[in-house]
Amino acid sequence: MTPGSPADRPSRVNGAALRRTGLLVAGAAFVLWAVASLTFFAIRLIPGDPAQAILGGPGSQASQEALDQVRRDYGLDQPLLVQYLAMLGRLVTGDLGTSYALKLPVADLLGAQLGGTLLLATLALALAWLLALGLAIWSTGRGRVASALGEGIEITSAALPHFWLAAVLIAVFSTGLGWLPPVATGTPSGLVLPVVTLAVPLAGFLAQVMRESLLDTMQQPFVVSARARGESALGVRLRHTIRHAALPAISLSGWALGWLLSGAVVVETIFAMPGLGRTLLQAVTLRDIPVVTGVVLLVALVYVLMTVLTDVVSRIADPRLRQEGAR
Amino acid sequence: MRAAPVTTSSTTRRFGAIGVALVATVTLAGCQAPAPEASGDPVQGGTLSYASGDAEPTCLDPHVGGNYPQALLAGQFLESLVSRDETGEIIPWLAESWTASDDGLAWEFTLRDDVAFTDGAPLDAEAVKVNVEHLKDPATQSSTGYLALGKVDRVEVVDEQVARFVLSSPDSALLESLTQPWTAIESPAGLARGMDENCQAPIGTGPFIVDEWVKQDHVSLVRNDDYASAPADAAHEGPAYLEAIDWRFVPDAASRYAALQAGQVDVIDNPQPDTISTAESNDSLVWLDAPRPGAANRIELNSGQAPFDDERVREAFIRAVEVDEGIESLFFGTAERSYSPLSSVESVAYSDEALFEPDLDRANALLDEAGWSERDADGYRVRDGARLTLRFPVSTNQSIPAEQSLFEQVQATAKAAGFDVVIELLDLSSWYGALAAHEYEIVSAPYTKVGPDVLRILYHSDSITPAPSGYFANLSQLNDPEVDALLSDAAATSDPEARAASYEKAQRLILGGYYLLPLYDQQNSFLMSTSVQGARALPTVSTPTFYDAWLAG
Repeated sequence: MTPGSPADRPSRVNGAALRRTGLLVAGAAFVLWAVASLTFFAIRLIPGDPAQAILGGPGSQASQEALDQVRRDYGLDQPLLVQYLAMLGRLVTGDLGTSYALKLPVADLLGAQLGGTLLLATLALALAWLLALGLAIWSTGRGRVASALGEGIEITSAALPHFWLAAVLIAVFSTGLGWLPPVATGTPSGLVLPVVTLAVPLAGFLAQVMRESLLDTMQQPFVVSARARGESALGVRLRHTIRHAALPAISLSGWALGWLLSGAVVVETIFAMPGLGRTLLQAVTLRDIPVVTGVVLLVALVYVLMTVLTDVVSRIADPRLRQEGAR
Repeated sequence: MRAAPVTTSSTTRRFGAIGVALVATVTLAGCQAPAPEASGDPVQGGTLSYASGDAEPTCLDPHVGGNYPQALLAGQFLESLVSRDETGEIIPWLAESWTASDDGLAWEFTLRDDVAFTDGAPLDAEAVKVNVEHLKDPATQSSTGYLALGKVDRVEVVDEQVARFVLSSPDSALLESLTQPWTAIESPAGLARGMDENCQAPIGTGPFIVDEWVKQDHVSLVRNDDYASAPADAAHEGPAYLEAIDWRFVPDAASRYAALQAGQVDVIDNPQPDTISTAESNDSLVWLDAPRPGAANRIELNSGQAPFDDERVREAFIRAVEVDEGIESLFFGTAERSYSPLSSVESVAYSDEALFEPDLDRANALLDEAGWSERDADGYRVRDGARLTLRFPVSTNQSIPAEQSLFEQVQATAKAAGFDVVIELLDLSSWYGALAAHEYEIVSAPYTKVGPDVLRILYHSDSITPAPSGYFANLSQLNDPEVDALLSDAAATSDPEARAASYEKAQRLILGGYYLLPLYDQQNSFLMSTSVQGARALPTVSTPTFYDAWLAG
């Protein structure tokens, strides 16, 4: 459930923490290498000549001389293996290369877009957590009607496609009520609809997981004993069971952030927000290999960081993990 | 010369190639759309907000590559030597007059002497020379502008204000080519900064100046207070009324329309046909309908290989499919059926409706005659064990949803005659890949260019030879020496009547050989709030200009 934890041994051994860190770093490096390699080869399987992408995109009428020149300049005339090793070499030194289409350094391009997407994803994750917690706490252990209703809401929201939800939200809150702008222009009000669009389906997923584990926890003896001590039903939920209920959802948050980044492709396009999602979509269409590789690596890096983070947070939330590494 | 793609939505960026089209429409007899009447007195100041659904350019300099999204933006800050008015006449712009030598090999343009680039440098013959050299330099990676000036050998500076274009062979399309934004004149000092810097903010003589380009978000344009070079058909002189333009990139069509309805933006491009139809009943919105010049949207039949190397099979296909009802219902009456290879904007466009009269019996008879007399269990015709299959790669970047649905109707109606039309929805790179590999029997590829010379690009046998990238424009692979001769003659003659006669003869041959199924003009529409007054589309490549525009109360 918490990656990395099986390797854990009690923290009194100092070396164990070191070993754990080492393993994490090695794991992260492996993931990044695998992602870079997969991207490198996968993108060559789709039709489209990189030299053409550099010279004005598909359908360009670049001359043979220009194509040859570009192939030489970008090393595209080299064997695939040589190109692959060259790419790895550049990545190791932190060089993401230059965009074929925009002729600007990939690192600069992504740097300019990362903030917007991270803000969007983080706000959506936070809102999804709030919605999910509220729903789970409200609908658990209150009889069949509340439970069925809660479950219905969860399944429905989890199944909502982003593009549909966005269209409905725009129709209601922009075109209908006129409260919020349909196109995000960098103002806080422009962020509301995109964040809600991303958060609602995710909240459905999270609430489902939370409610199950909340139900499970409610059966535990310590809950009965707390109730016996005179704790109210709500008090038990807030003070005793939330932590337990939250555990699987915390582990899921790593996955959730990745899921949000892919949702950002749709949401950023619909709400016309600058960000990594739109950058990726554009880059794939243009066969802008350095940018595609850069975005994919960045997302992989975020995944890895989130996994570490959820691991740490799980340990804080669940004392058992700190003791024995057992679950 | 080639044009510009467009995208329905997101992402495409510069595909310099063929044009794509998106939206447009046609009104009545298909003339250039009249600008909506301006009413009231012009108001100074204000920022106009424009939401573009076209791909965000990867470079703002239309010399580089050269596509429609670049043209849309460049029209606000760059200007050409000449322009074209609503009747198709070439009119003065940066050049106040021009003369051609008798042999058509030397053209002298006299430039206005009161115009300066926004970096302060004067517009002179040397600047024109530098621009043509820039376009012809392979390092510029120009595609559209490069092809447009293909017959220009060099430019000579006659004196400070007179530039002489020396041609390698006569070119009756030279003036039309020079009206296009892809051959606009930029500041030599701006060009000298190098491609990377010039792409971010090209320097021209236009009514607005590029202030800032925030990628994936917007381009800020501010007024050029020293502006003094309006084209001859402009409504006023001096600087623009608007203080600034906020040019946003909003790829999603529904979001664009919602932003217009909510008053968040004042103008949108590429509205979908159903949206136009809805907006028509909205009193606070105006529809600007500006079909693109060049070729009409059409389905090309690949005559270079079986089964369409047989004219009978081509005619059978054209007689079998029915598109009229589909165009009417899917485009909500915003697109008018075309029967010409050329856009209705072109005065020499020749139509022949009788050739495209659906006739299923005739289609069946022709196919029987051509040897496709048997049908398999699914009702498709077979010959020697092979099914009558037509591969139809469709670019999702170039064909709007309504057009894709229309192609499904083509598929359904062709089936009645026994054609197995296989539609493949592809992204732009894969689509070009399929064409380059000749993996198509039918295809639809929009193409924008000012003037009827587009016929030479699309139907002269020279255009079957692929560029090194595999791209070729003659997708019907029409290879007829008579058509070649007519198109070459038309391009070389300086006599307008002889030119028009040659183009008509060529169009008769092209249509009569059943090489294409014309559909409608390249759709190009804009929706504007009624508060926007005085905006119009330039009658060159139908890009909007906001020089005469103001925001009423």
